[in-house]
This record gives sequence, structure tokens and C-alpha cells, in this order.
Amino acid sequence: MTAGGPGMDGGSAHGSTLPRLPGSAAHGSTLPRMPGRAWGPLRREWMKLIFQRRSYLIWGGAFAIPFLIALALDLAGGDPHGGEGPLFFARVTGNGMYVALAALTALLPLLLPMAAAMVAGYMIAGEAELGTLRILLLRPVRRGSVIVAKWSMAMIYLAVGFGLMLASGLLFGATFFGLRPMVTLSGSTVSVWHGLALILLCCLYGLAAMACIVSLALLFSTLTDSSLTALIATVVVYSVIQVLISFSYFDWLRPWVFPSYFLEYVSFFRDPIYWTPILKGLAAFAAWSGGLTLAAHLLFRRKDVLS
Amino acid sequence: MDCGTPILTTHALTKQFGRIRAVDGLDLSVCRGDVFGFLGPNGAGKTTVIRLVLGLIHPTSGHAEVCGHRVPGELQGALRHVAGFVDDPTFYPLMSARRNLRLLGSMTGPVSAQRIDEVLEIAGLRERADDRVGGFSHGMKQRLGIAQALLHSPELIVLDEPTSGLDPRGMKDVRELIRGLGAAGTTVFLSSHLLHEVEQVCTRAVIIDRGRVVVQGPVSELRPQNDTVRVLTDDQSKAGEVLRAQFGAGGVADDEGYLVVQAGEGAVPEMVRRLVADGVAVRAVVPAPEQGLEDFFLELTGTDGEGPAPAKRRAGLARLLPGGRR
Repeated sequence: MTAGGPGMDGGSAHGSTLPRLPGSAAHGSTLPRMPGRAWGPLRREWMKLIFQRRSYLIWGGAFAIPFLIALALDLAGGDPHGGEGPLFFARVTGNGMYVALAALTALLPLLLPMAAAMVAGYMIAGEAELGTLRILLLRPVRRGSVIVAKWSMAMIYLAVGFGLMLASGLLFGATFFGLRPMVTLSGSTVSVWHGLALILLCCLYGLAAMACIVSLALLFSTLTDSSLTALIATVVVYSVIQVLISFSYFDWLRPWVFPSYFLEYVSFFRDPIYWTPILKGLAAFAAWSGGLTLAAHLLFRRKDVLS
Repeated sequence: MDCGTPILTTHALTKQFGRIRAVDGLDLSVCRGDVFGFLGPNGAGKTTVIRLVLGLIHPTSGHAEVCGHRVPGELQGALRHVAGFVDDPTFYPLMSARRNLRLLGSMTGPVSAQRIDEVLEIAGLRERADDRVGGFSHGMKQRLGIAQALLHSPELIVLDEPTSGLDPRGMKDVRELIRGLGAAGTTVFLSSHLLHEVEQVCTRAVIIDRGRVVVQGPVSELRPQNDTVRVLTDDQSKAGEVLRAQFGAGGVADDEGYLVVQAGEGAVPEMVRRLVADGVAVRAVVPAPEQGLEDFFLELTGTDGEGPAPAKRRAGLARLLPGGRR
């Protein structure tokens, strides 16, 4: 304590010098509620996110990968796989519009789930690790609203990631190959603007898919005081499901687990759009994400905060 | 404890972790305006009690009432009137002290930039307000913890060992601040294992051990009354006989030329009169060195950590603790 702080050397004799001491203004009163308080929790979570260095790593990756795809394909001078490459990659060199789609295809199975698991796994367990969870929960906030705010912020974080990926894909696609009308999987041609709308829909679908990972990681985040444990648990569960559904023996499992629907966004590129698998996917994402978030909520409400 | 409407009470509060009963049927009562000392050795359950009272953990049975709100049932209502910290205060390391206060403060209600400056000034951190908390020393974080507790002028401030990690000057400043808060009418719940700190700062105190209240009452009454005197006469041998006749052989001992007499309350004048009547010239009657609260604390809670303090000690202490024996 520095010498001479007005409050600190007040003591009982100089108590009156303490500015607005507790027990005066607020004594016996109920503090007013914040205006626009629905945004308050989100604003706070946003501040926490942007004050973490790791946040920028994932965003950087999301921005860099479309550039690397465009650069690699440009340097290769054409189709690197002789026409046998992953979906949309073969079409990139003819039309920069496909760069963003190729990036989505590349990132959706791995980097984006990792990003979702990292950001959501940190949400509760990271605060417990840091010790801020207890100081946070000494404020008059409902634990349920904390969970909702953290889930929402994880989704906003990922939405920014998708946005960066999309922007980068279009920017470098245009730079390297130019933007042209797109050919759908059904063989018809759609205008650039129509194509952009379809790409945006694909990204939104991918974001909805990530809601499942966010909820799963959030659930693990409430169960442990280590963000790394939450991240690893999420990745393990996700990987196990991915491995299982890759075997035909487990085909019966496919309709019930959310990763089965991750790549269904390609149906946006059929003409007309083939909605059935898309809607099935969205329903699965809603059910899984809702169920897992509810479980996280219930567990967090009963959690003894000992960190 | 009769103090009108208590600001904080616990009712048979119990917390069991597996086979360990960390808090065992605790009944506490903190009066409005108290600077209340919450004493206990390490592992006594102090922090667990604070976590229970502030809703961080759920009781196995029992409940607390904080500022008229039942905890855990009406936790949000209670937390609108309480602030403080549990264990070491922790903050977001990459944010400045000011930004941390803004962020945490906004969770309770609107907080002006001016108020943030005020509490930083009180805590002696004004000049470091815009520095990242990650670079703060332990003592500075303690002070920031106090600053965040003061933000909304709560009715009750709960501080868990707020002087730990502070240098002597810092300790003195924090204690003066706590006294100032008490003088201004704020109730302070001060957890500490530093007995002299509680003696210096608190008006009432409770001592807990193994999750149970050992004793609670005004601090002035916590220290056992000292009725032992040291007697020096011109004939110690004869004086010893007179005193043993009056107080029994067990009540008198020799110590470095003095007779140490457990005289009992109000017995000294009669003792001197008898000595003089038997022709013994009394040179000095002085109080024996007082048993400090520290010794008393160790006696109450045991020093070896093996089993509860002996019941007979507790029973013996009952007479010493008129207002608060539990």
C-alpha cells in the first residue's frame, strides 16, 4: 500500500476521508439493474476473448488457409490431384469463387472443430484455472446466464473465424483466379451474387455444425478445472465418433451422431437446393447442441466452485 | 448473540466432501456494523464456510442468511449487497487494473469511471491503474481485490486473509482501511489466522476448528481473564504457608523468587490483608504476564492437529467467555 493513500491512512480517525465508503449510499437498497443488460454478459465475454492471445492464432489460421490454398494451387499451375482432389479443389483454378468452399472443406473436419473445442473448453475451465471463476460468481449473475453468454460468445468467435475464412477466400480467390459465375453440382450455372449467397449459406451451415462441438466442449469445461482436459476430452469424443462412422459396421449409428452431417452443405450446390439432408443436419445439430448445452447448464448450476 | 437483525447468520451449516466433514453444523451470527473476525487454524474450514455463505459451493445441509436473503435459495439477492474475495483475489492478467474493475463492476451494476478512480485511490493503486494486472505483485493483487470489493459500496464485505502477502506497511494500511470501513458503518467479515490482526481490527470474532464453532463473542471478551498474580514479600516462606492455606497447594507456585498465585476474581485484597495480618510485609503484587490470544487460540484448537480440543479445556473456558460461549 503506498504511503499516503487518502483511504488507507484514514483509519477510524480519518474515516470520513474515505470516498463513498460502503454502508452509506447503498445501505439497505437494491442496486439498479443495468440498462441493456442482455448485452452486458456478451460484452464482457468479448472483452475476455480479445484479451487472449490464442484467440488471434485461430483467426489468423482461418484467414491464412484460403490464401495458402490459392497460392499452392496457383503455383502448381492447375489441379494438383489430376482431377481426383477433394471436393471443390479441382475447380479452384478455373474460378476463385471456389477458394472459400475449398477452405471450408479443408477446415471443417479438423481446424474448426479444434477451434470450437479450444474456445468453448476454455470458457469455464479456463476461468477456473485462472481463478477468476470464483471472483466472477461472487457477482450477482445467474450461472445459467453465464453459460448462455459463454456459449453465445464461443459461437460469435467462430462466426468471426468463418467470416475471416470467407473474406480471405474471396479476396485471394479473386486475386489469383478471378470471380466468375459458378457451376453447381447439378451442372447448371449461377451468377456471382447467387454463388456468393450459396457460399454464405454453406458457412452458416458449417457454423451450425460447430455449435455441437461448442456445446460438447462447454459440457466438459464445466466438469473439469483444466481447459486442456476439456479440449482433449472434446477432441477424443469427436474423433471416436468420426472413426466409428467411417466403418460400414456402424452405419446404423450415422443418423444419430452429428459429425455425419458435417459435409451436407454441398447440397446447397445442387440445383435446385436439396434441402432434405440439410434440414436433417440442422435438426441433428439443434438436438445435440441443445441437449449438451442443457446438460452443461444443469451441471454448472450444481457445481461446487473450489478453484 | 443479540444484535437486532444480524446481517449474516448460518444455521447448522454443513458441508461434506466425501468422507470429510469440512463444515459441521456451523451456527454463526454477524451483527450489522461488526468488524467480525473469523479465526481458525489452517484446515479449520474458514474458506469453505466463506464459499458456502457466498454460494460458490452448495451445503450438504443447513443454510445461511445474508442481508436478509437465504443462501443458496436467494443467492442473487444476497450477492447484490455483498462483495469481497475468497482465497487470493484473481484477475484477468492481460487487462489493466482499471479494465478489470470495469468488467467485474459491470456485473453488479453501473459503475462510473470516477468511482473506479476512487477505489483505486483507496487501494493505493491509482498510479498503476492502467498497467496490466499480470505484472502485479501478490500484494498489489490483494489491494486490487479490496478495490473491487468496494466498487458498489456493499453492506457486507467479506475478505479472506486480505493482508496475506503484504509487507508490514501494506498490512497496516489494510487494517486501517478495514477499521475505517467499520467506522463508516460497513460490516466487514474478516477471515484471518493472524490473531493479533483480529485483536487490532475486529469488534467481534469467532474461532472455528474442524468446521465447528469453538467460541464466539466480543473480541474484548475472547481473551481469558487474568487472575494470576506474582507476589513478593519480605518472608516468602511464611507467605507461602499463608497463601497455600488460603488458596490450596495447587494454587500457589514458586517462580524465580516470586510466589505465583491463582488468586481468582476479587481475591487479591483479601490475600494482602491476610498476609499483613500474619505479619508478612508485602513488597509487590503484580499481575502475571497475560496469556495472549495466541496461546488461548492454540489451547482452544489444539496444536497437534490430532483430534478435537479436549472437552475439559472447553468447559474450563466457558467461565472465561461470558457472552459468546457456544
